[in-house]
Amino acid sequence: MKAFGEIWESNLFQKWLMAITGLLLVGFLIGHLSGNLLVFMGPDAINEYAHGLRTMLHGTAIWIVRFGLLASFALHVTSAIKLARRNRAARPSSYNTVEHRASTLASRSMLYSGLLLLTYAIYHLAHFTWGAVHSEFYVKACPPSPECTDCIPDVYAMIVSSFQQPVISVAYVLAMIMVGLHLNHAIASASQTLGLRNRRIVPIVRTVGPLLGILVALGFSSVPLAILAGIVK
Amino acid sequence: MDLKNHIPSGPIDQKWDKHRADLKLVNPANKRKFSVIVVGTGLAGSSAAATLAELGYNVQAFTYHDSARRAHSIAAQGGINAAKNYQNDGDSVWRLFYDTVKGGDFRAREANVHRLAEVSVNIIDQCVAQGVPFAREYGGYLSNRSFGGAQVSRTFYARGQTGQQLLLGAYQALMRQVGLGKVKLHNKQEMMDLIVVDGRARGIVTRNMVTGKVESHMADAVILATGGYGNVFYLSTNAMACNVTATYRAHKRGAFFANPCYTQIHPTCIPQSGDYQSKLTLMSESLRNDGRIWVPKNKGDKRAPDQIPESERDYYLERKYPSFGNLSPRDIASRAAKEACDDGRGVGPGGLGVYLDFSDAIKRLGEKVIADRYGNLFEMYERITGENPYHVPMRIYPAVHYTMGGLWVDYNLMSNVPGLFVLGEANFSDHGANRLGASALMQGLADGYFVIPYTIGGYFAQGGFSPVSQDSPVVQATVREAEEKIQKLLSINGKRSPTSFHRELGKIMWDKCGMARNEKGLTEALKRIPELREEFWQDVVIPGSGAELNQSLELGLRVADFLEFAELMCYDALHRNESCGGHFREEYQTEDGEAKRNDEEFAYVGAWEYTGVGSKPTLHKEQLEFENVQLATRSYK
Amino acid sequence: MNLRLHIWRQSGPQDTGMLKTYDVANVSEHMSFLEMLDVLNEDLIAKGELPVAFDHDCREGICGTCGMVINGRPHGPLARTTACQLHMRTFKDGDEIYIEPWRARAFPVVRDLVVDRGSFDRIIQKGGFVSVNTGNAQDGNTLPIPKLDADRAMDAAACIGCGACVAACPNASAMLFTAAKIGHLGSVPQGQAERSTRAMNMVLQMDAEGFGACTNHYECEAACPKGISADFIAQMNKDFVSSAFGGRD
Repeated sequence: MKAFGEIWESNLFQKWLMAITGLLLVGFLIGHLSGNLLVFMGPDAINEYAHGLRTMLHGTAIWIVRFGLLASFALHVTSAIKLARRNRAARPSSYNTVEHRASTLASRSMLYSGLLLLTYAIYHLAHFTWGAVHSEFYVKACPPSPECTDCIPDVYAMIVSSFQQPVISVAYVLAMIMVGLHLNHAIASASQTLGLRNRRIVPIVRTVGPLLGILVALGFSSVPLAILAGIVK
Repeated sequence: MDLKNHIPSGPIDQKWDKHRADLKLVNPANKRKFSVIVVGTGLAGSSAAATLAELGYNVQAFTYHDSARRAHSIAAQGGINAAKNYQNDGDSVWRLFYDTVKGGDFRAREANVHRLAEVSVNIIDQCVAQGVPFAREYGGYLSNRSFGGAQVSRTFYARGQTGQQLLLGAYQALMRQVGLGKVKLHNKQEMMDLIVVDGRARGIVTRNMVTGKVESHMADAVILATGGYGNVFYLSTNAMACNVTATYRAHKRGAFFANPCYTQIHPTCIPQSGDYQSKLTLMSESLRNDGRIWVPKNKGDKRAPDQIPESERDYYLERKYPSFGNLSPRDIASRAAKEACDDGRGVGPGGLGVYLDFSDAIKRLGEKVIADRYGNLFEMYERITGENPYHVPMRIYPAVHYTMGGLWVDYNLMSNVPGLFVLGEANFSDHGANRLGASALMQGLADGYFVIPYTIGGYFAQGGFSPVSQDSPVVQATVREAEEKIQKLLSINGKRSPTSFHRELGKIMWDKCGMARNEKGLTEALKRIPELREEFWQDVVIPGSGAELNQSLELGLRVADFLEFAELMCYDALHRNESCGGHFREEYQTEDGEAKRNDEEFAYVGAWEYTGVGSKPTLHKEQLEFENVQLATRSYK
Repeated sequence: MNLRLHIWRQSGPQDTGMLKTYDVANVSEHMSFLEMLDVLNEDLIAKGELPVAFDHDCREGICGTCGMVINGRPHGPLARTTACQLHMRTFKDGDEIYIEPWRARAFPVVRDLVVDRGSFDRIIQKGGFVSVNTGNAQDGNTLPIPKLDADRAMDAAACIGCGACVAACPNASAMLFTAAKIGHLGSVPQGQAERSTRAMNMVLQMDAEGFGACTNHYECEAACPKGISADFIAQMNKDFVSSAFGGRD
């Protein structure tokens, strides 16, 4: 019997980890998106939702989710890098000419779209969670004072004021196109890695994967675009 | 020398049982002390190597391929016979035995053939257990078809890739033993010579085809499973690398070569398209079930086939053999095609082809039915020729396909050199003068899985094996000879490539010792071959060195052996003054052109002893006794 | 027709190798691709140059020996066709053709277009078989196998072990080859006893040989001359993970 360490390090297990963590991240994205879309229902809806997240289970829920996300993210990224390095090593010299027959732009650019998304994620956290960048738009719901213990950001105000800046909006929309591209291949790929592939499932997965990618990208982009267009103020 | 075939006494259906009971056994603990070399990893070699390793023998296997899975057994399309009688259509061991002896035109050994028919049923079981994906009926049971004119459905198949699937089964069994450390497999090693010590086969000399190193390997017995010699004709359906070297070098070390003139010509191959042609491709004979064979009635008729009216077509098989028609046996259909072409009525490039026309069948059954039956064959034909057989009749021509002759072996599959065993197509034993369809796979696996594991034990149990060192003078001398031969070949530095000699030899053999032979032609060939051989050793050029991967050198060494072996074939064909199976002598035919066998004088195995290059070999005869099957003339009228 | 060939020449595993250009004249459209190379080689021999080494044997598309990347595609431009079955009518006068060996760390170049595919054999040695000694077998019809299963097994078993899947995969992964054998034996009852260990051991050997991982491009499926479906890869993934967690290896 093989030791689990050996199995863990195998390409196939690493891929399986990527698929599982990837699907968890997709699940998170869908949750995140549904939260974002509350912007269209006005400031109270989204701020209440944000407050709710922070206070759920006496404030522990958000940390559980954050840990889960961080772990998934870390596993997803480390596996990706590990596999990418091994894949490079497996093909030490390249062909003079290569003609692709089945792969797509999305499938071939997974590593790059993934790395760009990693950069984006850090930027996004710095922007909305830590207030480290664009801090001029970091607004709290109550005036800052040392006594205030459950001060929460005024999410609605932050979103609107940030995305009124075209540069920020464009950056976010570009990142969302990258998310769409990544998901386009990710869903079908994960289902293959998890072994969910037969004649019944393949057509469904082939439609659902790209569709989900497009919907997520459109959904997220709709917020900055609506703000830029002045529909949401 | 007296050839002892060691056929056990007793009734034919009890001989094998009796023999197995009589064979001495090797103690399980002692088996690992006996070492066996297996050369070749086709059906016979792989199955033998795997099975002997399972039994506990110390096995070394050799192949000139990069993997044991590539041997030409893989190309067999049709299927494998077995007397299972799953179809309840009256098949039995007896009937398979009878059909094989009769199909072999009464030139096979009865006892061997009966054993083959007996173990045929075990082969299917073994292969199924290995996971070979034989075709199944909807109920999940094994499917059978009738093949090659048999009256019963006893052929098991795996799509059109039966040979491939059976070989992969044997290859996987071999890989399992390699993984377990029970077989040491040597890839990319070609046998150069047999090492005979004190009259016994004790090892081989090989050339490592990657490094060029020539080295010796020692064992207590040597098994050759190195296939047939069809490539002596240059163009054949054999794979490019198939060659006679292993068996011929063993012949030069004393093993008798039996019946080399028995070569099978397959009627439905895709014709040659030009001089550059490197090999011929066979299409399943099943095409003849629905296709009609014809040539124009008029010589040199160059019209397109659809421009030739019905009245100006000669459906010659239907005309000559009304009851069997287009389904006449392989040798008859092949010869009839040659006659038509010799008569100047052949079609296609060079006039070497006849039409196989499906237009009537398509009219009768519709294109869809024909596509269901032969779709993949039609596709293959179109890929090679660029013509669509749904619209233009196929062109076919006979090609060399299988060689029934091989090294002489006794009932134990041991040659006259003790310790040298020969399996599969490399031996001569089971098919007589003509092999039936779907019998080659059966014989290869029978020899490897079910015969050699028993009989080799009997040989080892005799004892008396003293170790032979690789440093001993006889071993060193054999290695040196091989090295010198290679050096000599490399140093000629003439003008002609090995391929050009091979092509020229092939043409001589095809013209003079091919589908139809006669005394005059054979005598000419026997004059021309030594001249060509002389020229080869004066004028061949092999670029590169011996100490690297050198495909020209590999070919050169093989062609050098073909140039000697071809002479042996012609001697055998010339001496056999009769027509039987794959050997048709024009002088010996009935008035209406049928083969005329001569049982009085030629019901024997012609086993030839080597006497030197260019010197006439000595004939030894093993008389064939037919106690169970009545000698009769084949008739397909 | 006349052609210009750019062929990879490499004298041995240690050599770096390079593309060399050759012109071949009067190529007949009826020649197979390998026959065209034969003609080139005969020319080279006549000129006293070393012929191009390439692997080939049956020349009817079943032995899996031949393999070269032709204009960026393993086995050339035709789908489901090995290099030996590719005919020159696919090309036209004046074409330039790039011919390169399979490129993968696990397939070291031996010479020119010849690579060592021993890694495939070693993968099979780890479990690509049913452990049944000769003589163990029961009657072939004792265990009915539904036709669909037998057909599926045959679909996978059609693999000829040529390595085009590895050559086509951007990661030089051997997933399709390995999955085909696991899929073949996993589809028949005879293969069930060792199903779990087979998947585990063959997959780990694939890594040990230095093949890359699958990124689900399906280039392998497109390049496979036998049209083996990447569905078998999914099945292998499932078998492997259930073996990993099932602990029955």
